[in-house]
Amino acid sequence: MSTMTINGRLAPLPDDPDALLVDVVRDALDLTGTKLVCGAGVCGACTVLVDGAPAVSCLMPARSAANRNVTTVEGIGAAKLHPVQKAFMAHDALQCGFCTPGFIVEAVAFHDRWRATKGTAVPSREEIGGALSGHLCRCGAYDGIFRAVADACAGRFDGSDILPPRMEARDKVTGSAKYTVDIHHDGQLEGVILRSPFAHARINELDLAPARAVAGVSAAIPLLGDDRIVRYVGEPIAAVAARDRRTALAAIAAIKFKGEPLPSAVGLDEARKADAPVVFEKSARKKAGNVSEGGGAPAAWKGNVRGPSAAFSKKPKKVRSWVDGARAANNPLLVEGIFRTGTQQHACLEPHAAVARFDGDRLTVHVSTQAVFHVMEMIAKRYKFGHDKVRVIADHVGGGFGSKASLGVETTTAIELAREAKAPVRVAYDRHEELSVTGYRPATEMKIALLPSEQGELKALSLTAYADTGAATNSTIAALARLIYPAEAKELADFDVISNLPAGAPFRGPGGPPMAFALEQAIDEAALRMKLDPIALRKRWDPDPNRQRLYDWASSLDVWRNRKPVAAQSGRYRRGVGVATGYWLYLWQPGSKVEVAVKGGRLVASTATQDIGTGTRTVIANTLAREFGLEPHEVEVRIGDSRLPEGPGSGGSRVTASVIPPMLLAIEQLKTAIQQSTKRQPVPGSNAPWREMLAASPDLAVSSVRPEDSRRMAPGIESPLKQVGLLGWIFGWMMRRFSNLAIGAGVPSSVQVVEVEVDTWLGHVRVVSVHTGIAVGKVVAPALAHSQAAGAVIQGIGYALYEAREVDSRTGDVLSGGMEDYRIPGIADTPMIDVHFDQGGFDHVLGGSVGIGEVATVPTSPAVANAICNATGVRLTELPLRPDRLVAALKGRAAA
Amino acid sequence: MTPTAVTAMQPSEFRAAGTDLSERRRSGVSTGPLIDISAASDTIGMHWDADGRARLGAFTTIAAIASDVRLAAAYPGIAVSAQGLATPQIRHLATLGGNLAQRSRCWYFRNPHIACLKKGGSDCPARSGNHLYHVAFDLGPCVAPHPSTMAAALLAYEATVTTNQRSSLTIGDLLGDGSNGGADNALQPGEMIKSVELPSPLQGERALYKRAISRTHAEWPLVEVCARAVVKDGTFQFVRLAAGGIAPVPLRLHAVEAALQDRKATAAALANAAGQATSGAKPLPMTGYKLDLLKGVVHDLLEGLAP
Repeated sequence: MSTMTINGRLAPLPDDPDALLVDVVRDALDLTGTKLVCGAGVCGACTVLVDGAPAVSCLMPARSAANRNVTTVEGIGAAKLHPVQKAFMAHDALQCGFCTPGFIVEAVAFHDRWRATKGTAVPSREEIGGALSGHLCRCGAYDGIFRAVADACAGRFDGSDILPPRMEARDKVTGSAKYTVDIHHDGQLEGVILRSPFAHARINELDLAPARAVAGVSAAIPLLGDDRIVRYVGEPIAAVAARDRRTALAAIAAIKFKGEPLPSAVGLDEARKADAPVVFEKSARKKAGNVSEGGGAPAAWKGNVRGPSAAFSKKPKKVRSWVDGARAANNPLLVEGIFRTGTQQHACLEPHAAVARFDGDRLTVHVSTQAVFHVMEMIAKRYKFGHDKVRVIADHVGGGFGSKASLGVETTTAIELAREAKAPVRVAYDRHEELSVTGYRPATEMKIALLPSEQGELKALSLTAYADTGAATNSTIAALARLIYPAEAKELADFDVISNLPAGAPFRGPGGPPMAFALEQAIDEAALRMKLDPIALRKRWDPDPNRQRLYDWASSLDVWRNRKPVAAQSGRYRRGVGVATGYWLYLWQPGSKVEVAVKGGRLVASTATQDIGTGTRTVIANTLAREFGLEPHEVEVRIGDSRLPEGPGSGGSRVTASVIPPMLLAIEQLKTAIQQSTKRQPVPGSNAPWREMLAASPDLAVSSVRPEDSRRMAPGIESPLKQVGLLGWIFGWMMRRFSNLAIGAGVPSSVQVVEVEVDTWLGHVRVVSVHTGIAVGKVVAPALAHSQAAGAVIQGIGYALYEAREVDSRTGDVLSGGMEDYRIPGIADTPMIDVHFDQGGFDHVLGGSVGIGEVATVPTSPAVANAICNATGVRLTELPLRPDRLVAALKGRAAA
Repeated sequence: MTPTAVTAMQPSEFRAAGTDLSERRRSGVSTGPLIDISAASDTIGMHWDADGRARLGAFTTIAAIASDVRLAAAYPGIAVSAQGLATPQIRHLATLGGNLAQRSRCWYFRNPHIACLKKGGSDCPARSGNHLYHVAFDLGPCVAPHPSTMAAALLAYEATVTTNQRSSLTIGDLLGDGSNGGADNALQPGEMIKSVELPSPLQGERALYKRAISRTHAEWPLVEVCARAVVKDGTFQFVRLAAGGIAPVPLRLHAVEAALQDRKATAAALANAAGQATSGAKPLPMTGYKLDLLKGVVHDLLEGLAP
């Protein structure tokens, strides 16, 4: 038997030639700081040092580590944090933290090499970008990573320890943060799902006996629905739990099943054909998934097309007649176009995963989830358990972006396998599963018409959106165009096109980015034709007070004032500047409860919410500490556990606005209770009166529920639904009644100014700089809010330029199931990002803060497209704006 | 998921660093017996003969090739190509031989559920399916581009390859002409690359490499070209270009070379020569854009090589 030295200790290596180093490190040695993500050497999350040089342990045969020195992230800061770790903490160069250990390992190697030869010289962005090009971060923490690596190399973190702005940053840079995939109980089994190879079939025969007969298999369960029909490639058929993954894979390969193939329709075009096979017969429609954050209103189905959902229209017949009239009259101001967007995968680096364990009649489930409390409720309801018998835990979550907001198949499968096997079971999706069956932002085809009046006002807007929702419904895209740019008349229609593809899911501002891609380009085009500054036109057409302030900020930017006229350049490389606006609803979750307590002289805040990288832990800590005049690291935050008081899900940008108001109420009560129970008052003139009183305080606990907002709003601040009248009121009531979401007054907003450089020869677009102005009220955790705003821009750049799920339109196979083929932005694709927070507009919310996650990504793709148009004169209408599309469009322009 | 399209019996495969094979075995695409191979003194490192010619051992890592100062001086196109491929962590492990003998990166081939020519199937699903990233020079039944960046560079250098069975193989001999859709190379069963021999460096040679991709780094090339030239007194005395990402095998761009040989390096001549890059192209319905990119990459490189 051969051995390696790992973190200074000798460890045996398995004889199995197929064992990979990452598996030995994680499974045999329980060094779970090293993460397995892509399994293809693309993302770098598994990076370890082998004899001092970074290597991807997911591709490295374990036996080739024989007699070598391996260092994992746990071996780097074990005794004393490395300067790179401190720099990552100080610059908040992380969000969910799942990619962080890999980045740390690589950056440490780079730093040590750099310092050895170059002292404290500062490496350039290009040097850092090249060195870290083998790492991917889905949250988009690159902006902070650049700063962290540069400052560490410059020697600025050689000194003493630091207190990071993010509460759990130390656990994330040292690899000690445990995610669901890292949970390992004694006797834990591995669950694997057998998935449909058919786009559409009835599974007539399913024999699990051969799987059960495989040595090491403890459970095998069917997962088919009652109609035994599978409607997409990858739909679950059965699952097994076995002692390890390889045995489980062998067992599902042994399962015998026969499918009677049914005719299928894959994607927007096929599924819309008159003779297309129907995916959901009437009786099966409730099996369809939901791509929105709230429930939807009923709509008509015709074959695979569900819609129109057009309740947010206003005088739609007028729109039609005006637009027809303008077209007949060749009105040059009538802007019409068809815009298409690609399918965007969430691509969470931590896959969907659950570990279920029964202890008698009590069930504990670790879930990589955005909603510990809601998932607990759903499990209790589904399996008829009492709430006290189910506990859902998520200490750290490696990204969600909307795809982990409800009870998923990975969780129910883990529970059912654990019940049958009478042992703990982990189900963790592989990368192909993660990039195919866990949901996505649906592709769209949008037809838009925008008609300014003779007086230069917005007269009419028409937007019809077809969404490629797969085995799901409830897309809301066109309707969102009602809540911005008021017009005399609007015709807005949403259609779902259901087909034999996996179900779409909510994704960061569901419907917002595609709507903005069409609408914001139409506005830009209208400004061009009206010979107006695009920001000035928005200022004229968009009365929202939050955005009015952002428009003033944007139009004062040098990059905006110095931009060249459209298509003024003729060389190979052309620079352009574009602007776009985005908004999202201000949502909060009624019933959200926070407990604040004094325990052993220490302040503790508890609520059953979770931190998926958004910074919730820190938002709570900062608020609590601020109110008591303490430092955030002096207080304790308990989240990520459904046993805590009911907390909000991390979706709809709702968490901050759901937890701060009740916490502030509870804090006031707790302060009173402390004062009443403290015998000794603080010394007059004390710098930290509460610190002294807390030290003397008995244990106390107060909790409070999210109050309604004040009705006294600043001028112009109102619920966006007011524009929609009675229907808006009904919509708001339904969201609250059926989705437990309240839509508040005031509109979280973002205006982004983007500069690009276009290489017209190679169709390459480089985003040079992004200025993102954001109005979400008071910023509670500035460094983290900056990280989230910058990350949202980077994810938006991915949506704009690179990302698209690709399928085989005949078979329904997802082809982009690996991180090589599903292309998310890398560090070197990161522009200079300037984040501007306008901190007003939400004074009617206790604490004055609302969420940032969604709004910050909405305007990026149209701003990039508008910048390309400014540079080249070409308006690109299909996302992603890939080289193939750009060269084709430029050719078209040259030919015209 | 279980592999459903993989033929039961697969031949054995050599494994050097395993950066390609590990991914295929994890997914279940490749299931044959493994033969681990390791370096000997004559199959690793760079060996220079008295005439200044280099022989590169097949086990030499891409990172070693990318960072060798002498190699970069004598064969700049080899060094810059090595610097441009994959990621730092992969370059650190991956070997030259493995880079040449790696298997197709086609998303149909890499999916264990889908049958294809390279997995014993009877046709190419990409040809009639989604071939966005596939060939623009349709030279054989399989439409996947050859993935080896080093092969294109070595083709530009007219390097030869020694195996445990044969010597003096050209890159064409090694990889075939693209007509065998079932294979990624023309190695015989049991045949293993041992080294690569480079011809004498040219006086005054300059060389460049560029790939067209959507992002900045770490992406399989849409188009890549390694270009070498000796330009004296403003005239191309020698020029070689080889392109990857566009055909089942790397291609020499003979028409571009012919258009420049002994010609003055004027802007018009460069543009005209770049236009010749697509000579002989046969794009697929979704790959016409690669021809524009190919012309663009060649033009870019020629401008870089011209004085």
